[in-house]
Amino acid sequence: MLDIIPLKKAFLDELNSITNLSELQQLRVKYLGKKGLVTSKLKTLSTVSPELRPAYGRAVNEVKDYIEEEVKKRGSLLKKEEHKKRILSEAIDMTLPGKFTPFGREHPINKVLYEIIDIFISMGFEVEEGPEVEFDYYNFEALNMPKDHPARDMQDTFYISEDIILRTHTSPVQIRVMEKRRPPLKIIAPGKVYRCDVDISHTPMFHQVEGFMVDTDIAFSDLKWVLESFIHSIFSVETPVRFRPSFFPFTEPSAEVDIGCTFCAGKGCRVCKNTGWLEILGAGMIDPRVFEMVGYNPELYTGFAFGMGVERVTMLKYSIDDIRLFFENDMRFLKQF
Amino acid sequence: MRVPFEWLREFVDISASPEEVAERLTMVGFEVEAMESVKDDTVFEVNVTPNRPDCLSILGIAREVSVAFRVPLKIHVCEIKGELPLSDFSVEIFNHELCSRYAGRVIKDVRISDSPEWIKTRLEKCGIRAINSVVDITNYVLLEFGHPLHAFDADTINGKKIKVGMPDTVLLQTPNSKLQTKIKTLDGVEREILGDSLLIWDAENPIAVAGVMGGLETEVNDSTANVFLESAYFEPFSIRRTSKRLNLISESSYRFERGADIEFLEKALNRAALMIREIAGGTIYEIIDVYPVRYVPEPIKIRYDRINRILGTEISNADMLKILKKLGITTEDKGDFFIVYPSAYRRDIKRDSDVAEEIARSYGYDRIPSRIPRSPLSSGKLDKKMMNIIRIREAMRKSGFTEVINYSFMSPSSLDVIAVPQADRRRNVIVINNPLRQDESLLRTTLIPALIGNFKYNLDRGIRDIRFFEISSVFEDIGRPLPLEELRLGGIFYRDKTPSLWKEDVEGFFITKGAIESMFEELKINEYSFSSSSELFLHKGQASDIYVRGAYAGYLGVLGPEIVERLDLKKQRPEIVVFELNLDLLLTLIPDSIKYNEIPRYPYVERDIAIIVDESLSASEIKEIIRTFPSELIEEVSVFDSYRGSNIPEGKKSLAFNIRYRAKDRTLTDDEVEELHASLVEHILEKTGGELRR
Ligand SMILES: [Zn+2]
Repeated sequence: MLDIIPLKKAFLDELNSITNLSELQQLRVKYLGKKGLVTSKLKTLSTVSPELRPAYGRAVNEVKDYIEEEVKKRGSLLKKEEHKKRILSEAIDMTLPGKFTPFGREHPINKVLYEIIDIFISMGFEVEEGPEVEFDYYNFEALNMPKDHPARDMQDTFYISEDIILRTHTSPVQIRVMEKRRPPLKIIAPGKVYRCDVDISHTPMFHQVEGFMVDTDIAFSDLKWVLESFIHSIFSVETPVRFRPSFFPFTEPSAEVDIGCTFCAGKGCRVCKNTGWLEILGAGMIDPRVFEMVGYNPELYTGFAFGMGVERVTMLKYSIDDIRLFFENDMRFLKQF
Repeated sequence: MRVPFEWLREFVDISASPEEVAERLTMVGFEVEAMESVKDDTVFEVNVTPNRPDCLSILGIAREVSVAFRVPLKIHVCEIKGELPLSDFSVEIFNHELCSRYAGRVIKDVRISDSPEWIKTRLEKCGIRAINSVVDITNYVLLEFGHPLHAFDADTINGKKIKVGMPDTVLLQTPNSKLQTKIKTLDGVEREILGDSLLIWDAENPIAVAGVMGGLETEVNDSTANVFLESAYFEPFSIRRTSKRLNLISESSYRFERGADIEFLEKALNRAALMIREIAGGTIYEIIDVYPVRYVPEPIKIRYDRINRILGTEISNADMLKILKKLGITTEDKGDFFIVYPSAYRRDIKRDSDVAEEIARSYGYDRIPSRIPRSPLSSGKLDKKMMNIIRIREAMRKSGFTEVINYSFMSPSSLDVIAVPQADRRRNVIVINNPLRQDESLLRTTLIPALIGNFKYNLDRGIRDIRFFEISSVFEDIGRPLPLEELRLGGIFYRDKTPSLWKEDVEGFFITKGAIESMFEELKINEYSFSSSSELFLHKGQASDIYVRGAYAGYLGVLGPEIVERLDLKKQRPEIVVFELNLDLLLTLIPDSIKYNEIPRYPYVERDIAIIVDESLSASEIKEIIRTFPSELIEEVSVFDSYRGSNIPEGKKSLAFNIRYRAKDRTLTDDEVEELHASLVEHILEKTGGELRR
């Protein structure tokens, strides 16, 4: 029975020198394993005299429980230490950049184009499209610009043949829609248009949104409300708007719409030529001649139409001063939007 | 139109500053685009719209100012008093439909020299070069009154005869004259005469292109003693046609083609004659005035309420008439309606809407109220096509592709650069007759050349990761009047192989393919396949045609080495991936609606299989073999390894698949799966002739 005590002491000595979990596991096996020192004592129990056997058994079991307990205690201590070490060794430089695939960007023209479309959709308009290569008839003649009309000089045209051109505006969609549908109509027609002209404010291709509304009782004052609402929405509610008389062959009365200069807040600068105003839209009441061309009775129906250059709106919105940037597609430009 | 402020003030007595006048003019429809200080004066650059030729003059602008500021308009007295000698010239108009009035005066014994300073200064301010007193005066009156005049050296006019007509008409009616086919105009250019152009002739020859430019031989110069001064009205369309064909625009043609004032032309003639007599001396002869087609104003009947209905205003009847009167427009009140008699200088006023504009202009656009349209409410809608395009753009951007927009043009060499065969559809190009540059003379039939251009532009500027996409139409001549316009989605991918912090060694081809596949997934397009492509400009071993629901939708591939070489890049073997898809087709294949599928309730069982097969056998072919295996329990098959190299025989590769089994109505047992999987493996080995990789 006395041999139990040194066993306990020997275990304690060994435990003190243990530095990691696997050593601890080996130690446990040495004492408590199938052939362990303590286990073998239990196996010799039958050789002990019957009267001493219960006390001896108790003593061995006590030592067994003690060792079990100590191993457990030491184990959790070692585990904690080991986690600590591992965490330290696994530290990373969190200031390194993350690995990501950046979202591609929207082209600023399309970004603004869809913004414009959204605003008109919210006012109850629908979208219609037409071909970019168009008949002279739809682009000019049906819009009250017969051949040999000086108003054609307002738009330098690319010709494919005498009768086929690259559309100079999206207004032909107006004719195409009115030819196949009856009022009431609230339509916008976005798309690419072409004019043979190139400088700091012109490119041979650009984008336009044409819009029109036809019903039995549409007046110039409705046009004013729709365009003012649009401008306040795409720029800001504080943006000043003014309408001034102008001329388009397919509208009468016609108007050009200016907004307070976005570059100088109306104080006057180089961009607005010191007027404090920038032209943004052309508009007017649809000319009765146009209605006659599509077989509408101009006595019954009135309507307005307007058109704007998307590049122009985009330039004013983001203070871009050279239209050609849009078609250079320089990543350093595109990623800003 | 350049308008010197001091000249304007000769017609209207106003105290307003140039800035105030400019602002008012702009607000009544004559936009002052610029103001320039010239010699103690301000010159306005006024944008005169094509409908208002009457305002291509100081007088016309002054008339607008007089209305805007409510001050009277002062016009010079243009009467020539006293008895005048009769001239021995005769005028005959052959084509009344092109010239409805022709007037002229002979002025004899003039002494031509330089103009006085004040005339020169005013011409100069308006951008016209001084020549000699007589010519300067015709230009002066043109600027002042807006009516073009022409001065001939009377002694050079054969037979003291003026004939106005087209060559065919003149020759027909004067059979003895010889056919003259050319005329040398004042600018020294010898010009071919066109059959339907209106010309001025003397007894023998053409002496001027009517309303466009005079002839050099009848030019007034310092030695001219006798002048024939012309003031006429020519039909706008005829002048425009001639000017266009000769590619010759003059101050005269610009005004005639927009419409001159047939009634006022006599005043302009007299004003010039008087100025010539005053400055160059001489004797004015009696007017010769042939006016076969008199101007009769076309009365327009207009309902008062119609005007308010167009404008959305409540302007009273009396106010409407008052406004029109101020504008010099004659009206007659008839109760519910009124009648307008437009004067000869306002031929643009033809119907009610034109009168509405005049009233609105004067009333002030700013005073017209804004009104919410009374039209019935409709729900605005974006059609499906546009919504799907928005989804496609979004899907591309999520894969890191940035949107570009290129011109619709391409160069004649673009298709050669990407080796498009002669018989290819893409060679059916639309040609622009008047391109700005030869490089932009065709409409593009593919988006790829422009995308390659975008790639190169950015690569040259140090951009290392280039992913672009574009959605635009291409144009194909299909033998109809209008070309086929097909919407395409094109893209380009390139990534520099420079060392980077986080390694990612996926090939560009698969990154781009992944972008296309994830777009398909977003659009719920699931029946698609990639098979090898025969596009000549793509790398033969790295190019796929893309089929969606069995239809050819486009291609994806790496640019072939010969093409890349032509691009002349400073990179070793760059991997440039491009793709182009027919969006018009894709858009029709996107399902309209989504239907919910029940989420599986029973667990799945997975098994892997790795097989060694011929290199030529594609992963998708094996997938197809698995797909056709007759079992409903195979839920999903995915490739998780593709390997060539050591341990694998030459000409072979190893492919590994993960197969997921699941039943809808029960939990599969191990035995069941074992048996199924074993027969699947057998099926694959049999069909592929491959062997299991151990
Ligand atoms: Zn400004």
